[in-house]
Parts: sequence; structure tokens; C-alpha cells
Amino acid sequence: MSRLTDIGIRIEAPTRRGGLGGGVAAVLSELVGMLERVALGGDAATIDLRSLPMSPQDRIELQQTLGQGEVQATLSAEGVSTLHETGVSGVWWVEHRDRHGELIAELIEVVAIPQILAASRDEMIAGGRALRERLSIGHEASLEPKHAPLS
Amino acid sequence: MHPSVDDIAVGEMLRRHGISRRGFIKFCTAAASAMALPPWMGPAMAQQLQDARRPSVIYLSFQECTGCFESFTRSFAPTIESLIFNVISLDYDDTLMAAAGDAAESALAKAMHDNFGKYVLIIDGSVPTGAGGGYCTAGGRSAVDSLREAAKGAAAIICVGTCSAFGGIPFADPNPTDAWPISAIISDKPIINVSGCPPIPEVITGTLLQYVTTGKVPDLDEHLRPKAFFGTTIHDRCYRRPFYDQGKFAKTFDDEGARNGWCLYELGCKGPTTYNACATTKWNGGTSFPIESGHGCIGCSEPGFWDKGSLYSPLSATDWGKAGESSPRQVLELAAGAIVGGAVLGVASAGSGRLRQYRSEHPLDSEPKDS
Repeated sequence: MSRLTDIGIRIEAPTRRGGLGGGVAAVLSELVGMLERVALGGDAATIDLRSLPMSPQDRIELQQTLGQGEVQATLSAEGVSTLHETGVSGVWWVEHRDRHGELIAELIEVVAIPQILAASRDEMIAGGRALRERLSIGHEASLEPKHAPLS
Repeated sequence: MHPSVDDIAVGEMLRRHGISRRGFIKFCTAAASAMALPPWMGPAMAQQLQDARRPSVIYLSFQECTGCFESFTRSFAPTIESLIFNVISLDYDDTLMAAAGDAAESALAKAMHDNFGKYVLIIDGSVPTGAGGGYCTAGGRSAVDSLREAAKGAAAIICVGTCSAFGGIPFADPNPTDAWPISAIISDKPIINVSGCPPIPEVITGTLLQYVTTGKVPDLDEHLRPKAFFGTTIHDRCYRRPFYDQGKFAKTFDDEGARNGWCLYELGCKGPTTYNACATTKWNGGTSFPIESGHGCIGCSEPGFWDKGSLYSPLSATDWGKAGESSPRQVLELAAGAIVGGAVLGVASAGSGRLRQYRSEHPLDSEPKDS
């Protein structure tokens, strides 16, 4: 035996009788309820995947059941975060990684669009102010003579 | 005059380091996840931390192996550097600081004086009281004297590791240095025990962050541990729990059951009587935990874990108690108390005769000294 992959270990799913694992089914059932509440105007809901006692196989099964949707966003702030909408509209799979690429949070958000993606009102006001300043600087610069006047 | 660290809010400190609003929300989301708080707490925490003042933190190490500090420095969420630079002001730590000798001792005295009544005191290691405290000295002072002086001005004490929380291995029989946990010596300050040998990195930093965020001691269990991390047993949250329920157990570490990932209960796993976050927060940035790697839990975050017999002996039914009569923990305490004459767990619950006697002989002088 020379490689790690030669070690004969396999993970057996604890409860498989032709259906989903118990943990996966529970999460999916909760998502159904969350979707119904959010669709009726309720608050956004979040499941912290790291708080759930799921086996690696459960995790894969959950991902496969939810599938891949049309939207994927990448956020670069203190490391890369990926937010993709699953095949179920309004259900987002969110992974936050630190600057070293380590996974620091993994969530399922049930919301039209994750809050962290939206620009804040304060930032938009500050952005408008900054643009106005650049415009005025640009305007003043355009009025300046091409060559410095002779003194 | 150099401004006090209290003058700088966390939000301002983050902006100075170029951390954006989204980066801050992400930091708090990860911290809330690490602290096992509800996910919606992340954005709420970001709002609270925005205006929170950075507290001075003093980290003292006594009779210990530095494993707890090694763990502390490996926190992924929040990272130790983000804590040091943005959320706290780590004013003294003899492992990290560049200063040594008189310069280091002066830094400690200055930090205690400047932040009297407000600093957070973190301690790892037990406190040996034998030989006049001579088993552990630094700068010519015993650990017990250093502890008593540093505790006077502390707003709260966070005991990191099973040694400072419950005495740990130095406290184990025969306890040759007459070692004690912090709660045996200090009785007039809020104490938060973050036990484990070592504790999970994110549990250390998460507890500290939780205290900074709220300014209050979090909800604690009867062993003074934060319920957010120590509220459930390893067994309750173990992904192998379904195998236990089905009666599927590994009998040896290399049999068919072990290869199938079945429950390790019969190989001595102490998960059913151990309260910690290993099964959910995990280790090494959420990579794995001992049970996931094929070894049972050794119960290192529980009082007296080293004196409870072989790590590989299955838990007795007496440890679990009878369903409906008392909790496994209550039964375990009774059993262990009977075995060791009440010493081990009596200390943890701060109620034993020995503990009261120790405190009566060593009253804590809470009056600050003029410097």
C-alpha cells in the first residue's frame, strides 16, 4: 500500500431505502416551508449548513437534489464568496471563503437576492458624490489651457 | 498622548484597514456561523460591532503546554489576525509579543493600569499552588500571584482550555503540583470556561467575539461554558448517530463496521457524555473532527476527563443514567464524584469543601493597588 487512496475506506449512508437520507429530507422539507413563507412576503430565511450534522454524502445529495440554476455571483471581499441560485428559484447556495481560500461559512439562503450582493443606500449616495467630484474635476481640467501661460 | 484603544470603534478600525461593508458582513456571518448563532445574527452582529469599542485583552499562560494557544492561532473565522487588528487590542501575550524580560513585564503592568476594570483576561493553564507556587513562575512571581493581581482589574476572565477551566491534566491524579483551575482561586469575577484539550479555535475566538459584541457574559452551562458551543453533546450532533440508533457499531478499528463508518460507541467514544461543538464546527477550518477521522471522542472538554478510566473503554450504562430520571451528565457527575471523592467535579462546580477551604485561606484582595 503506497497511496492514501489504497486504504479501503468507504462511507455508507446511514439511512438509504431507495430514498433520500433523513437529514437531507429534513432540510428539503424546511426549504419548502421557507419558500412558501418568503413567497408570501415573509422575511428571508437562512440555513447554516455547518451547523447541521451531515455526512459528506448527505452534502453531495443535497446539492444534487437542489441542482444548479441560472445565476452565479462572485464577491471579492476579504476573500472570494460564491453565491449561486440553485435549480429551485429563490434558493441560494452561498459559500464564503477567507483570503487563504478556506471555507469560513456555508449557507442556504431563501430570498429573492442575497442581501450581501445589494448595494447599500449610503454607499450609493457616497458613490454619487464621488462621481460628481470627478465630473467637476474633469470639467475644470477641460477648461484649463493646454499650455501653461507664459509668465 | 496616545489615544486609548477605547477611543476607536471596531467599524472605524475596519475602515482604516480597507475592509468594505460587504467584507465586514461576511466576517460577521462567518463568526456567527462559528459561534453556532442563528444565521440572521451575522448582519445584526455587523451592526452592533460597527460602534463597539475595542477592549484591551491580556493573555496569561500558566501550567500548560501551549496547545491551547496553538489552537487559538489557527482560527479561521474569525482569524486571530483579524481579531488582533480589528476587534480587540491584544496588549500582552508572552508567546506572540516581541518584547521580553523587563520590557514585557512593563507592558503587562501598563496594560493592566491603563485599562483597569475594563480588560478581558484570557488564561490558559492551571495554577500550581504546591511548593509555595514555585512550580510555575515568570519574572520572579508565581502563577498564583500573577493571576490574583491580573484578575483584580479584569472585567471578565476567559479560561481557555481544560487546564484553566477544570484543572486538566496537571489536576489529574496524583496532581503532584497541587494544581487548580482558575475558578478555584478567583471567585469575584465573571468567568467563562472554554474547555477542550485544546479547545476548538473558532470556539475560543467566537467566545471572545461574542463577549466583545454584546459586552456581556454569554449564557453559560453549569460548568461556566458558553451554551452556544457546549449546549449539546457530541453524540447529539454526530453524523454517525443514525448508526447508533440502528445498533450498528464498529467492534475494532479495522473491522467491516469501522470501514463502513459505523458508530464508535463500543470503541470507547465519549461523545454521549461530552458537551462540545466538534461535530458541527469541526477542526482545521471545518475539515473534520476525530470521529470523522475514525477515532472516538475522548471527552477532553469535560471536567476530570483524564481520571475517568481508559479512553477505549465503552461508556457504562451508569454514565448514561436511566432515561427519564436524570440527564447523562448528572449521572456522570455523581459517578465521578463517588470515584474521586468529589474533588474533580466539585472544583468545576465551585462547591466542594476543598474549594471553599482554599478560598477561605486565600481571600482575593479586590482593591486595586496604586501604581
